[in-house]
Amino acid sequence: MTTGDAIKNNFSKWWITIQISWVKHTAYRLNFFLQIIGPALVFFFVKYNLWSAIYGADDSLVIKGFNFEGMINYHIWAFVVGLVAQGHGSWNLAEDIRLGRISSYLIYPFNFWEFHTASWLSFQTIQMFIAAITLGVIAFFDLLQFPGWNFFLIGVAYTLFISLFWFALQYLTGVMAFWLEETWILRVMLSVVSYFLSGAIIPLDLYPDWLVNILNYTPFPYLVYYPIKIFSGETSSLGLGLIIISIWTVVIALINHLVWKKGIKLYTAAGM
Amino acid sequence: MTTPLITAQGLTKQFVSYKKNPGVMGSFTSFFKRNPVIKDAVKDFSFSVAKGEIVGLLGPNGAGKTTLMKMFTGIIVPSDGELKILGSNPWERDKNFRKRIALVMGQKSQLWWDIPAMDSFLLLQKYYEVSDKNFEARIEKMSELLGVKDLLHIHVRKLSLGERMKMELMASLLHNPEVIFLDEPTIGLDLVAQENIRKFILEYHRENECCIIITSHYMQDVQALCDRLVLIFDGKKGYDGPLSRFEDILGNEKNVTFNFSSPQEPESEFWHSLNGEWSKNNTQVDLRIPEEKLRESSAHIITTFPVEDFATDKLPIERVMKELMNNPKLLREQQSSETL
Repeated sequence: MTTGDAIKNNFSKWWITIQISWVKHTAYRLNFFLQIIGPALVFFFVKYNLWSAIYGADDSLVIKGFNFEGMINYHIWAFVVGLVAQGHGSWNLAEDIRLGRISSYLIYPFNFWEFHTASWLSFQTIQMFIAAITLGVIAFFDLLQFPGWNFFLIGVAYTLFISLFWFALQYLTGVMAFWLEETWILRVMLSVVSYFLSGAIIPLDLYPDWLVNILNYTPFPYLVYYPIKIFSGETSSLGLGLIIISIWTVVIALINHLVWKKGIKLYTAAGM
Repeated sequence: MTTPLITAQGLTKQFVSYKKNPGVMGSFTSFFKRNPVIKDAVKDFSFSVAKGEIVGLLGPNGAGKTTLMKMFTGIIVPSDGELKILGSNPWERDKNFRKRIALVMGQKSQLWWDIPAMDSFLLLQKYYEVSDKNFEARIEKMSELLGVKDLLHIHVRKLSLGERMKMELMASLLHNPEVIFLDEPTIGLDLVAQENIRKFILEYHRENECCIIITSHYMQDVQALCDRLVLIFDGKKGYDGPLSRFEDILGNEKNVTFNFSSPQEPESEFWHSLNGEWSKNNTQVDLRIPEEKLRESSAHIITTFPVEDFATDKLPIERVMKELMNNPKLLREQQSSETL
């Protein structure tokens, strides 16, 4: 077999895994339908209502530079970034380990990480689709301030890059299942902390300066706050964000590799 | 004999678990100081299997059968000893090695629950790099043999246990493995389904000349499939030999069944000494009589009691197994007499 054939075979393994993953995600029609329209509904019922209540009938109210339209726009993009970057929960991963299903992957000539990364890629395409529908619905109600295609495409590319970071991080919480009975508390903590510190709940402009200064050294602001800036037509933070997120992603990927190696040794030694 | 496909030499697997005293205090103290308990799941296990053999691995629950299977397939690493399968160390989990073996677990589903079996098959086709032509031919052939042609496109979670097991078998044989491990493939199935699966395995084996290791608690499986039995008790190998000689473990005794026209008294001195197994209404008895006493005892019974008919039989392996499980010492006696 030539190297070309090997690459072709490997590619077709990834491709079929992505396809099967699509089939799995769409296996339940009602569930899938709700998954598609759910985000738009949540946006209108929760975020829109909340902020229109806060701003009240006062059109001229400005909070830290945000008028009502600006605030809604901030949350539209926060929502889109959340869908694309952070939608994947990696629940299956921890479950596969905890229930001993990884034995199957130890026997198949396709590795555990390959399977889950391909599943994630597949999931990402669905999330993009859902995000596009959600944006479409919001645009239909004329709430969206579109920054122009340039900024939009850069924003999408950057958000996809962040999703890689999130996948690496969630993979880490997943492989912790080698040691922990339950990993959901880890995920909940992670998402709550990042929700607050990344600007997903309120813009970082509303936080005290000293806190924002500290946060700028962590990956958090680059996960939601700065991507929203890009979608609002401001790319000055792009370079720094790319560097910081790249470093974190590489570090986490290395940790994943080590944790997996240690975990699989434990697993194959004990058989669980 | 050709070179063996599987050789195990002094294979040992130890598990460490931690003893915990009951209750909250126990949890608390064990949090700081753990008491390790080391248990030999498999100890000093040696054997070899040649191409084309079907070997039955028998033993009570917890004897170490599944641990052995996991070592054979590379899911767990042996603590000691040597193991070579198809020339590889299974626990190195080389991709080429993985392509040449298969494992079916009756207790655990390997198919994806939410999609039809056919989708899982397509996935496995790519993973195992099976050509389209071979894939189609194999699906066609196996689904025909198993009678599941109409079920290939139904979601796996909607299949019955028997149907699902057939799909599991198909999934694991798509890549034409050279060594197949079947861990209780008929567990929980009804008699017809069990027989279908057995027939399929035999047919498959006849055509592909593969090597099969099978564990089961159903003696019919063993009787129908295996030429050779390996017994494992407490992690150690007991009997290893042809099925036909299995009953010799208990000595050269014959199984004789008598039917009587009227109920007898099992508690009487005569019957008590023979220690038979009586039917509920005491009109039938199964006796084990040493070969040299067979004529004498039978003649006595026939002339003394109202015998309607009788039959002698080889000991069913089920009874041999039961006897051994109740009294594992018999096995050790047998072994020590063999080594003398």
